[in-house]
Amino acid sequence: MTKQKKKIAVIWFPGTNCEDESKRACESAGMEAEIIRWNDTKNLEHFDGYVIPGGWSYEDRIRAGVIAAKDPLVIEVKRQAERGKIVLGICNGCQVLVEAGLIPGNSENTEKGIWETSRERNREIAKEGTGSEGVQNGKITMALAPNVNPIVSGYFCAWVYVKKISGKENAFSRGIPDIMPIPIAHGEGRFVTKDKKLIAELEKNGQVLFKYCGENGNVADRFPINPNGAVSNIAGIINPRGNVLAMMPHPERASWMHQVPGHIREGEAPGPGRKIFESMRDYLIK
Amino acid sequence: MGKVDIETIPVSLLPDNKIGEFLKKNSLSLTIDECRKIVALIGRDPTLAELHVFNIEWSEHCSYKSSKETLKLLPTSGPTVILGPKEDAGIMKFAKIDGAQYGIVVSHESHNHPSQVVPYEGAATGVGGNIRDVLCMGAHVISSGDALRFGNPEGKNRNKVKYTANAVIDGVAGYGNPLGVPIICGDTFFSESFDENCLVNVVAFGIVREDQVIHSCVPEGGEGYDIIIVGKATDNSGFGGAAMASVILDESDEEYNKGAVQVPDPFLKNVIVRATEKVFEESRKQKITLGFKDMGAGGIMCSTSELCSSGGFGGIVDLSKVHVSMKGLPPYVIACGETQERFTWISPPSFTPTILRIYNEDFQLPKVSEGARASAIGKVTKEKDFILTFGGKTVCNVPVDVVTEGIRYKREKRAPKREFTEPDIPEPRDFGKAALEVLRQPNIASKAPIFRHYDTEVQGLTVIRPGEADAGVQAPIPGKFAGMAAALDHNPRYSHINPYLGAANAVAESMRNVAAVGAVPYAMTDCLNMGNPEVPESFNDFVETVKGLSDAARALWLKGHKETPVPFISGNVSFYNESASGKQIDPSPIVCCIGFLEDYRKAITMELKNTENIIFIAGKRKDELGGSAYYALRSEYGANVPKVDFAEQRNMIYAVIDCIGSGLLESCHDISDGGMLAAIAEMILAKQGDEKVGAEIDIGDLGYENKSGNTGLRADKLLFSETPGFIFEVKRGNAVRVKEIFKGYTINVDKLGKTTDNGSLVIRQNDKPILDLAFRQMDEAWSNGLLEALR
Repeated sequence: MTKQKKKIAVIWFPGTNCEDESKRACESAGMEAEIIRWNDTKNLEHFDGYVIPGGWSYEDRIRAGVIAAKDPLVIEVKRQAERGKIVLGICNGCQVLVEAGLIPGNSENTEKGIWETSRERNREIAKEGTGSEGVQNGKITMALAPNVNPIVSGYFCAWVYVKKISGKENAFSRGIPDIMPIPIAHGEGRFVTKDKKLIAELEKNGQVLFKYCGENGNVADRFPINPNGAVSNIAGIINPRGNVLAMMPHPERASWMHQVPGHIREGEAPGPGRKIFESMRDYLIK
Repeated sequence: MGKVDIETIPVSLLPDNKIGEFLKKNSLSLTIDECRKIVALIGRDPTLAELHVFNIEWSEHCSYKSSKETLKLLPTSGPTVILGPKEDAGIMKFAKIDGAQYGIVVSHESHNHPSQVVPYEGAATGVGGNIRDVLCMGAHVISSGDALRFGNPEGKNRNKVKYTANAVIDGVAGYGNPLGVPIICGDTFFSESFDENCLVNVVAFGIVREDQVIHSCVPEGGEGYDIIIVGKATDNSGFGGAAMASVILDESDEEYNKGAVQVPDPFLKNVIVRATEKVFEESRKQKITLGFKDMGAGGIMCSTSELCSSGGFGGIVDLSKVHVSMKGLPPYVIACGETQERFTWISPPSFTPTILRIYNEDFQLPKVSEGARASAIGKVTKEKDFILTFGGKTVCNVPVDVVTEGIRYKREKRAPKREFTEPDIPEPRDFGKAALEVLRQPNIASKAPIFRHYDTEVQGLTVIRPGEADAGVQAPIPGKFAGMAAALDHNPRYSHINPYLGAANAVAESMRNVAAVGAVPYAMTDCLNMGNPEVPESFNDFVETVKGLSDAARALWLKGHKETPVPFISGNVSFYNESASGKQIDPSPIVCCIGFLEDYRKAITMELKNTENIIFIAGKRKDELGGSAYYALRSEYGANVPKVDFAEQRNMIYAVIDCIGSGLLESCHDISDGGMLAAIAEMILAKQGDEKVGAEIDIGDLGYENKSGNTGLRADKLLFSETPGFIFEVKRGNAVRVKEIFKGYTINVDKLGKTTDNGSLVIRQNDKPILDLAFRQMDEAWSNGLLEALR
């Protein structure tokens, strides 16, 4: 191998807890990965991409992901995303990307921001000049609301299936299976929007990358197929440019076959979630 | 004797009644005799701080004063032990990889009293304490398990029971999930015995390289080493926690007791764990030997005195240097308070700045949580005294070994009257209805409403998760095939009737559970939740319980090592589990068995895999329904607790392991609570996905009357007897080899029936239909039983 491996920064905020397996998943896909502490950001721009893993950043105070979304590090990640670098937010990372306005990142909906705190934040960003048209000035048009399901209220951990919905060119879904088993583990994973039209627009744009489905791919809006009540069964969304993905399920927990229920014998063979990381690698090499 | 600079309490001059008043006023649980003993031991009157030190060190929780002699019965060493129950956690031998020996670190403790008083916090800090115990051995914490006991959700205390159960479950989830430690096994049981005293037992697992174990003692040549504490700023929370764990809960003291419960902070712990792993890394790089200990019961006082004493040193601690979050705390509260999320390091002065930097600067503890940090607070001394100073004055100065030596009590025991008879129950007319009732029983029903709250996947090491098999399985070393299995068990209804058999069954069942996934039982831990040891009948139950554990562990030999027991590597005793009115809980020895899998890829789960396979049963059905779920539904205990035929159990366990290791079983499930009916139904119900596999069995074919000389059992007894055994699924082509392997261990297996394609359960007896249940019917009962109990 003469080609230099692409480098991913796996971001660790106080409270993040999926950094090790996220790093391993990146490495298993042939990339280099390094865990970067929230307060050690000097080399951030030298990375080719960023993974914001799951956990409870800043204890999920106020609302899941909202404090990390205001962290200077995320502002830098945002800047790098605008330059075309790739960003994957998983679970709590997904919540962070939505709270930071990187997802869905559609400029047309900026006036529909739903959280007062976010408006203030937008003003800050505007002042600092870190926003741009592509990332819609950090307006928050979506949120991850508490799960709704008939079995347990609050936190819910289970294996589900997601279906690749979008054919849009992006960094994350090259060669991934149409339907894949993948685990979720969250209390606030229900994608919601204030503006109902936004969903239609995201679907039209091909930004809804993953939807929860049954094992045969039927996207039915009922439990347990839709495990958290997400609007339109949404499990993962990309930005218009296709270089940022926010998803609630955990691909790093489905990157080795032994992790996948019913596939113990396949041991260390690559699992379906690995494909997302391999897609990132291929996108970066291209 | 050691000098102090503050006034002492004139114990030697005071009459008994004055001492009694003084003790009560200061919330000290020491007895008057114990106070007099302190004077004799230290050669002068003690200070208030010293009394608090002894109050904690001599509590049951810290000193095992009633249990230590009896616990000597348990086997604790053997070829699979790296470290027995000596330090904060035991270590089981695990795989050897690239020449390096790895160990599984296990800690198993109760947090019963705090969970009864403040369920969420009590359960959460129970998880936190075990995780600290494992981490402080230098290990990476990979998972945990929970064994929960709640009262009768339909009984007279149902509201409190439901509230407690839900809050405890939330507390377990609310700590492990944010910290990033998955739950891989557990066991929940409801019984009126726990109406006023719930049990919360947590076991935590870690992985460590044997040569990188950090011990809970001052290292060799440690004179002059720094004593460093790290973590949350000390406050008055949890002051008296260890003492509380050692007394009976009295409702009128509830407010005082609440103050003794610690406050969990998994967020801060998340950061401390990562910073601590950096300290491990750095010390290994620099080849520095450190001492490290969890700060649990007895706080700074216990952790520093025990670290020094076990290394053969003394210590001096300046309590003024402890980072606190409250002003005006008296020195004994700083010394003995049980503020959570703290550890103690023993470090050579040259390495101290590195430790302080990692916590305080790299991970910015003070910015993560107000007042949290690492602080050097004292020194290890050659003189074996334990000295606490505060504001320049010595407030405690006693020989360190006197502090940590503890005391012993020889408790009186008297066999209680236990008269149980078998009930006269008519055979049910509708077997389908009887079966659904058993499946709906909260102790049998699916535990998904509990474990779906838990993150079972974080860290990505999970291979078999709760609900899929009798034991959880992980691959602790990424990229390697070595696997660890673990299961937690005990049926309190058995111990209600017969404490000895209840304990022996717990050992056997936990081993069967680990074997049912294909793992070899390598070690066990025990958490003994018992009543008041000062009540002779209750203490007798304790002794019987320990005997049951010991006999079973010694008779169910370590596979491959004849006459060698499976050792107990860690454990805990929790006494005084009784209600204010003096009602003792059923003796509850909760056993965790940890198994080893050379290759986790061979592990199997319990759900039926395919149609047209043969279903076998091992373990003769006997009239053993004492304590069963079937009797519970009829409000009966019965008398015939399953006897543990040790040789048969051992052989059966070995045969199952060999069969799974040879790839001959498709699925396997042990028979225990709910009998063979519950076992076979669970094998059907555990199947996820749209395609279901059912079973058609004929219990008439068991033919016990003829072949084994047993008197014929009624169909309901055959189906619901909890005689231990296994049910497993075998491809037709493998049946002969499976039978041979069992025969090699002198065990006969019987063909029970076959798997079918529609998810239903059909049972016949000599071709006469007994029941026919659709998947949907069974699933409705099994999935909702616990949900309804918790609602």
